[in-house]
Order: sequence, then C-alpha cells, then structure tokens
Amino acid sequence: MSDPTSILKPWSLSVSARGENRLDVEIAPSSLVSAVTEIKRARWGYLSAITGRDCTEADGGGSDGAVSAAAPAPLEILYHFSQGADVLTLRTKVPREGASIPSVCAVLPSAILQERELAETFGIRVIDIPQDERLLLSDDWPDGLYPMRKEHTSEKLREVVTGLTASASGAAAATAPSAVPLDVPRWKPGPAKPVEEKPGRFVIPIGPQHPALKEPAHFELVVDGEVVTDATLRLGYVHRGIEKAAESQTWVQNLYLMERICGICSHIHATAYALGVEKLAGITAPPRAQAIRLIFAEMERLHSHLLWLGVAAHQAGYDTLFMFSWRDRETIMDLLDALSGNRVNYSANLVGGVKYDIEPKQADGIRRGLDFIEPRLQHYLKIVTTDESFLRRTRGVGIFPKEQAEIMGVVGPTARASGVRRDLRVDAPYLGYREFPIVPVFDDACDLAARFVVRIKELFESCRIIRSALDRLPAGDLTVGVPRRIPEGEAISRVEAPRGELFYYLRSTGGAKPDRVKVRTPSLANWAYVLGVAVGHRLADIPMIVVGIDPCFSCNDRMIRVRRAGEERTMSWEDLRQYGIRFYGGNP
Amino acid sequence: MSTTLSHPIRQALDKVALWARINSPWVVHFNSGSCNGCDIEILATLAPRWDLERFGVKLWGSPRHADILMCTGPVSRQARERLLRTYEQMPSPKFVIAVGSCGITGGAFRACYNIVGDIGDVIPVDVYIPGCPPRPEAIIDGVVQLLTKLKTGAAPKAALPGTARGPDAPPASGGAT
Repeated sequence: MSDPTSILKPWSLSVSARGENRLDVEIAPSSLVSAVTEIKRARWGYLSAITGRDCTEADGGGSDGAVSAAAPAPLEILYHFSQGADVLTLRTKVPREGASIPSVCAVLPSAILQERELAETFGIRVIDIPQDERLLLSDDWPDGLYPMRKEHTSEKLREVVTGLTASASGAAAATAPSAVPLDVPRWKPGPAKPVEEKPGRFVIPIGPQHPALKEPAHFELVVDGEVVTDATLRLGYVHRGIEKAAESQTWVQNLYLMERICGICSHIHATAYALGVEKLAGITAPPRAQAIRLIFAEMERLHSHLLWLGVAAHQAGYDTLFMFSWRDRETIMDLLDALSGNRVNYSANLVGGVKYDIEPKQADGIRRGLDFIEPRLQHYLKIVTTDESFLRRTRGVGIFPKEQAEIMGVVGPTARASGVRRDLRVDAPYLGYREFPIVPVFDDACDLAARFVVRIKELFESCRIIRSALDRLPAGDLTVGVPRRIPEGEAISRVEAPRGELFYYLRSTGGAKPDRVKVRTPSLANWAYVLGVAVGHRLADIPMIVVGIDPCFSCNDRMIRVRRAGEERTMSWEDLRQYGIRFYGGNP
Repeated sequence: MSTTLSHPIRQALDKVALWARINSPWVVHFNSGSCNGCDIEILATLAPRWDLERFGVKLWGSPRHADILMCTGPVSRQARERLLRTYEQMPSPKFVIAVGSCGITGGAFRACYNIVGDIGDVIPVDVYIPGCPPRPEAIIDGVVQLLTKLKTGAAPKAALPGTARGPDAPPASGGAT
C-alpha cells in the first residue's frame, strides 16, 4: 500500500504524525477534491468521518465561550480516512464568515449525509452538493442559527430556539422570552421537486410512526407498480443534540450521556469514549479492566444480534423465530443484570477502568448461560440457511457488491457479508483483543441471507472469546487514577460496535469539559447502502433491506434532522387533519 | 365518545365497551426521541419471558385502532408535531403511558438544544413509568395500574391547553360533525 504522505505531496501544506497510527495533513480548501480523488485512486482506506470544529478557544476551560469581536476564529473541517489501524486526517480551515467548502460527493457518494450535517450544524456552505434540502434541522429551526458553533451553549441555544420559533409561529408569542433577538430569518424551502404523475406510479410515504420499525424514520418510496424506482429517507425524529450538550458537561458526566446515545449498544459507546479520554490523559486501564470491558462488549454483541435476528424475522413474517430469539436473548439479559444490576444501561465503564468485577461464581453463571445459548445459535443458523420460505425472502435479495461496499465505506456485519475484510477487533485491536484474538467471519454472497449468516456465526466467536477471557482473566486492579483536568490534545477512538465501526473524535483544551466530541455511528455509514440497493426491488422487500443493516436511529439521529416535511403537498397539515376528521366520521 | 345520553341501551353498550377495553387494550408505540433502551424493553415485555399479551395487551401499528399510546423518550423538536398527530388520530377515550425517565423529565437529554420537553409537556399522560430504562416488571405494573384505574371508572386526562387539540376542540374550519 502506498504511503499517504507521498500520495498527498502535491497538496499538503504541512504534515504531522500524531501518535503511531495517525497522520495529519493540512491542505487548502481548494485542493480538497483533488486530494480526495487521489486517495481514492490509490485505494487508501475509506472515509470514516467528517468532523467540523469551531476554533474559538473557550475561556477558562468552560465552553461558554464568548466570541471575541476582534478576530472571529475560523472553522476547521477534518476528513478522517481509515485503513486498518491507520487514520489519515485531512485538515482544512475556512473563514467563519461566508464559510464554504467543495463537496467530495462526486468522488465519494457516501459523504453526503455527513456533508449535509456539516452544512447545517456549522453553517459551512458545501459547494456542488447533490442534495441541499434540510436534512438535520427540524422544520421550524431558524435559518442562520448553527447549533455546533460556539456562540451559544447547549442550554442557551435551547432558550434561543424556543423563543424564536414561538415568536415566529405567532400563536404562542405571548409566552416567548422577550430578550431573544428576532432578526434571524426562518429557513424557507426551495422550489418543490416535481413528482412525475403517471398512471400506476405512486409516491408512498411511510412513517415516522409505523409498525415495521420501533424507531421513527420517514421513507418516501416512488413505486411503479410493485417496483421501487426511487427512495428518499428522512431521519431526525430522535435527534437530540448530544454532541453539543457534551461540550457543557464534564469529562466524567459525559460518560453517562454517551451511554445514552443508544439503548442497545450502550456499553460500546461508553467504551469508545472512555478509551478516547484515556488516550488524551495518557493512561491505560489495567488489564483486568480491559478484559472485563471486552466481556461486556461481546455479551452486548450477543444480545444485540439476537435482538436483530428477532426483528428481522418479524419483518420476514416469521414471528415464531422472533419469539424464540427474544426468549433466548433474556438469558444474556439476565447475565448482564447479574453482573451490573441493570438490564440495558449497564454502566460498567469508568474513565480509567470498570466499576464491576467478575467473581468466579458469576463467571460460572456466564459459562452456563453460554452453554444454553450456543445450541440455540446452531438452531438459528440452521433455520436461516435451510428454511425454504425464509430463504425466499433473503437469498439473492439486496445484493451489495464488494467493490461498492468497500468504496462506500460500509462497516460492520453489513460490510463483512459483502466480503469486505473489515473488522476493527482484528485490524486495530483495542481492549483485550490482542490477547484474546477473534477470528472474523466473512461471507462473499453479498445478499441478505449472508448478513444473517455472518451475524449468527459472529456470535459463536463472541461465545468463544468470552469463555477464553473468563478462563484467563488477568489479576489486578480495576481502575487507575485519572487526572481531573484532561491534558490538551485530540484523540480518535475507533471500536467495533455490534453494527460496525464506531468512531469518536475527542478534543480537549485542557479544561474540565471537552472542546469537541464527534460521534460517527455505524448506522450512518450504512445508510448509503440502503438507499442504493432499494431501487429496483419490490416494495415488499424494502423492510427486509432496511433491517439488513440493523439500523439504529437513535445513534445516527443524534446529529441528523430532516428536510422540511409537507413541502411537496398542496394540503397543509391542518387540511389533512380536517380531512381525517371528516373521513373518520368526526372522531379526531 | 363523550355521551350525554342516558338511554339504557347506550349505558349497556358503554359497559360492554369498558369491559372489552379493560380485557383487551391495544397499544400503539411512539418514540419521540428515545435512546431505544425503553423501546427495546417494551418489546421485551411483549416477548415470551414477560408476555404482556396475557393481559390482553396487543401492540398494534395503527393509532386509529389503539386505546393506549405508549411513549418513550424526551420530545424532540421534530417529533413534537408527529406525537400530537399520533395522539389525535386515536379514538376517544384514549390513554397515555410515558415510559422512562426521559418521558418524565427529559432525563439525560434535558439540556439538549433540540428537546422541547417531556411527554407531559405535549400530551396529557395518565401513567408514568420511571426507570432508565424501566424493567419489564415495572412496565407491566404501569399497564396494570392503568387498567385498574379504568376499572374504577377513571376518565382519561383532558388535553392540555394550547397543545393537544382535544376531541371537544372546535374544528378550525367546518367538516367535523
């Protein structure tokens, strides 16, 4: 593989190595597209994340930074490319006023969601972006107010927005705080995209409240008869603004906030965050703590994949399998409960170690649980590979070729089922994965059936590794001391969550609170696949294809919001409501 | 379904409806900004180990057929209108259960800029189930408490002024009967 320094030589302004696996290359905004094209041509890794950063330095460690009037700080954009354990970061700075950056979507189509996130939360205009509808911010979010810039803290921002939207709607103007400036214009939708009217061709809106998934998302599928000809996705119904809120909490408080990014993979979020903070502080958790984190992480993978298997079976109309897998999942939940006292947010992590030890008696309990679960997994593997009615829903459906998966930066089991050799537990071993190596599972079939097989086979590996970690659990302390103030610097932490690579970027200015926390969750990286693959399939296959990536909206919505709803309609919401009242005989 | 008629047949029908409602309440689930923890626990409550269905509770996709709205999470700016609409689409009498700490106070996300508040700020809530997330036993207890309330003839909470447009609210323009 070629050396990134030589690839980027023509454009790099400065090159600096940060730690053993990281290389930062500073480039000018104008040479971004050429540099990215060259990285793609040299086949160096994939685009992991795009991080925006406000360079305003906060005073006294707090993040309530008043922007100095003299020289407004620029905005910095970081493009993180990953290959194995190595991360190459392209850094470029743009001025705060009239910030703009060329889009890299023409080269890397998978960048679009992240570029739209960047545009809306930082107010950086992305030139030539294929879609510039509002993706992130809610319908009534005022234009010109960029949440991730450091003008406001999270709490202040909430007040400002509440005031602005209330006064804009007029009806609730009386309750709006009067001190809020009102000169921020409201965002206006662009010209409505004309939908071609043709007999037999319909736009089917699905969601946000819908029976198929337990989380809200809105799909708009254009169908010609039964076949889907276009698909758009609107996310953001569970966007909360966690990245911003993290900037006004201390390093330790954030651990618990990060755990609540996702209720399914809560442990791995906290682990990724804790590993990043430990990297910044220059400490390493003791070996015993690392092994216990690993055991929790693999048990989380067990319950997460069983959960997914149930939901996916439900989508296929196979409710028996749903009930079976959820019954068996309770075994794992009991074990987690016994270890931590909690079924979902186990809160095992501390910065610098873990809270819970695993006693020999508990270890025996875990072994017994695994003894039960392994034969069940064999049974499920048999079902998903031999049951004819099930295979008709999965075999040859949702094919995502390896070549495409590699370039689109698809991660996790979704990538591995397309034959992409990408597993951070092997590529960049963290925790105890060096001492307890995992054998990654791949499948070259690239279809839905392969995603079932990969996920179930992975669980055998999880069981095996939990056993070996329990057998050879290192002795020693559970925690190390952590400095109260985290030294200045930045760290990247990448871990393999159940759904794929989870990417954390942390930056400290030496204060009690982080300067920037960026989270790129696996589901965000995998949406590109769904929208690409959906077109051409039958409508009935769509739920299966969507569920194929094991989407987690609460994860990726922490920074994603939607395009304005209702812009293509001639009926207002009130009209629709009245229509509904008439239709249902006056029962609202 | 508010009735001022005291016709004996009507009264008998109401009794049958109440009996049916208590024995088979259908639930629609809405996530307005939850981290997924509560949602998965609600599902786990319906799965074989806890089996909420033995109380006649059925999770149903359409709010048009549901008696109980089970909400999770704080209410995000974008989900607020959808939560209201889901609530409005349910036939009266309707009941709301807020599951989890976030639904009660906003929880860990209270300070996040895109949160407009908790469930109780948007729609009237009949039963709160605390926990982060609540254990399945707690969710079952919450549902049973609601059903007990129904048995004693409690009426659902009235819509909040200025938020939920309740069944008695005058329509903005004609059409409703």
